[in-house]
Amino acid sequence: MNLYEFEGKQLLAKYGLRIPKGVVVRRGEDAIFAYENLGVADVVVKAQVLSGKRGKNNGIIFCSNSEEIKKAVDELFQKNIRGQYVAAVLLEEKLAIEEERYISIVYDTTTKQPILLYTEAGGMDIEDVAHEKIKKIALDIRQENLLVSLPYARELWKCFLTEDTRQIEINPLVRTVGGEWVAADAKIALDEDAFYRHEDWKNFDARTMLGRLPTERELAVKKIDEGEGYYRGTAGKYIEMDGDIAILFSGGGASIANMDALIKASLKPANYTEYSGNPPREKVYALAKIVLSKPGLRGLWIAGGVANFTNIAETFHGIADALAEIKPTYPIVVRRAGPFEDEGRRLIEECAARNGLTMQFFGKETSMSDTAQVLAGLLK
Amino acid sequence: MTENTNVLIQGMTGKEGAKAAKAMLEYGTKVVCGVTPNKGGQEVEGKPIFNSVKEALKKFPAVNATAIYVPPFAAKAAILEAIDGDIPLINIIVERIPIKDMAYCLAAAKEKNVRIIGPSSLGLIVPGIGRIGVVGGPLVNEIFQPGEIGVISRSGGMTNELSWQIRRAGLGQSAAVHVGGDLLMGTTYADLLRLFEKDEATKAVVIFGEHGGSYEFEIIEAIIKKEFTKPLAIYIGGKFANVFPEGMNVGHAGAIVAKGQGAAEKEKALSEVGVMIAERYEDLVQLVHNQIYAH
Repeated sequence: MNLYEFEGKQLLAKYGLRIPKGVVVRRGEDAIFAYENLGVADVVVKAQVLSGKRGKNNGIIFCSNSEEIKKAVDELFQKNIRGQYVAAVLLEEKLAIEEERYISIVYDTTTKQPILLYTEAGGMDIEDVAHEKIKKIALDIRQENLLVSLPYARELWKCFLTEDTRQIEINPLVRTVGGEWVAADAKIALDEDAFYRHEDWKNFDARTMLGRLPTERELAVKKIDEGEGYYRGTAGKYIEMDGDIAILFSGGGASIANMDALIKASLKPANYTEYSGNPPREKVYALAKIVLSKPGLRGLWIAGGVANFTNIAETFHGIADALAEIKPTYPIVVRRAGPFEDEGRRLIEECAARNGLTMQFFGKETSMSDTAQVLAGLLK
Repeated sequence: MTENTNVLIQGMTGKEGAKAAKAMLEYGTKVVCGVTPNKGGQEVEGKPIFNSVKEALKKFPAVNATAIYVPPFAAKAAILEAIDGDIPLINIIVERIPIKDMAYCLAAAKEKNVRIIGPSSLGLIVPGIGRIGVVGGPLVNEIFQPGEIGVISRSGGMTNELSWQIRRAGLGQSAAVHVGGDLLMGTTYADLLRLFEKDEATKAVVIFGEHGGSYEFEIIEAIIKKEFTKPLAIYIGGKFANVFPEGMNVGHAGAIVAKGQGAAEKEKALSEVGVMIAERYEDLVQLVHNQIYAH
């Protein structure tokens, strides 16, 4: 989960990094009141987004009085920063900058360990900095003590280890005219798989990187995988999209191959969804019901590969339960094989017959991509 | 994996562990014992359970592979136990292991020269010899038969699906390995390609890759260094994902939308060193088939 800048900075402050004096203003809150309380005349107003290059996209505005603040905040809330929804703005003291540096800790897939990246050419995109100007220090996750004398490196390492982050980036790390190091930005991603070690993560607001607030359906699907058996078969992935073909895919790999096949067949997905790892009937039912609840659907594609151990009958029971309730009138195409495939096929075809659904079923003799074409044909 | 692979299962008394034990035994794999803390003395599928890996190895020193079926929060301890016991091959099926725990285990494994397959890996199969994990499931004999094509996949379902496409074309598999979909992979495509290069049975390899991460780029290096010279065809899923913002996760944990790591960019780089690119996953078989029999 990516953190907003203000959340990241609060985390960094816990580890002794100095952060600029600032205040967060959410939508609907009184920005002028916040500004006056902050007690600093020259401030920078920063749009809070989860990804993207803010500076280059006019997401940062300098202000010196209440009028300018009001104008800047209104302007930022009306914006989409590179497709990103602006959840809040951060008003911060303007720093007297002497120099700007860059420091980050991320996982390196070559060493399969964290790596510290540092450059004196801070303030610009790291991708645009010449390779030889970037200092790369390989770290060992087993070593708690970091023998690196770069500013804030030790504090960052402690934060990285303790907070289960996947990535910490400070750009720029500023040295002020007064000689102090200040984290002027913070980009932090948390490792959601470590949630059970961090009770406090529950307090973060719901978020999506899709340039809007999460939809009700997205929030509802996320709940499916919560609770004690969270790792036993997942059915909690749902991203709402603009199209009209409802999607129920099984398997992470099959799901992305099928999305590509769907678009190749000139169809438009209403959602991206995937369940896998042999989830129980109840989880699949809950997921299917939400997927089918989206208005304006024109077709349904249920597709997965030849499963290794996901029980086709059990998972299709869940889908059939939802189909029987909703009784869609649009065409449904199914492609699936694996353990208990015959039973799964029988029960979903019987469900279709009983409820007068238009359904075509394919087993492993037909490839997944070909059945996308079948659905496209039915919709012509 | 050979006839002499003796497998231990950590977490064998759990539901998934017991199922895996059965699946492996039915395929003729030598599963010799299991480990579950505090359940020592029990039996699963007629095989003894021990409280610790240490105890198990004392009784069964021939163990040379372990498959790990424990909850994610218990994974680090289980993997480190196996590494401490110098078991040379570890398959981790566990999904959603915190990345910090996994990095810790991978560092420990590297020092002891232990090979990890996974995490989030359903395992591997050498048709006719055995399987570690549940690749193929109960339909294993309908999908796998000994043959000439190596299969590597980021996805468990697609390991099976690709293997089925191979079988359907009248061919067989030399081995199929599900490397898992996480950001940190114990054994990478390039690691496996080097092994397939040495394997006489393998005439060609097919790969199911995904957008995100940099592992596909390691293949290029292996080919340039001539560490892999056999025909190779790859399908990279996730072209649709470029509609999503950078940093977003679509698909497996390692499938993160990132500049320079999209499916199309990977395909371009790979095709420049002669790797055959499949437009659809089902075309992979035809591509390598043509190569093998054109020679």
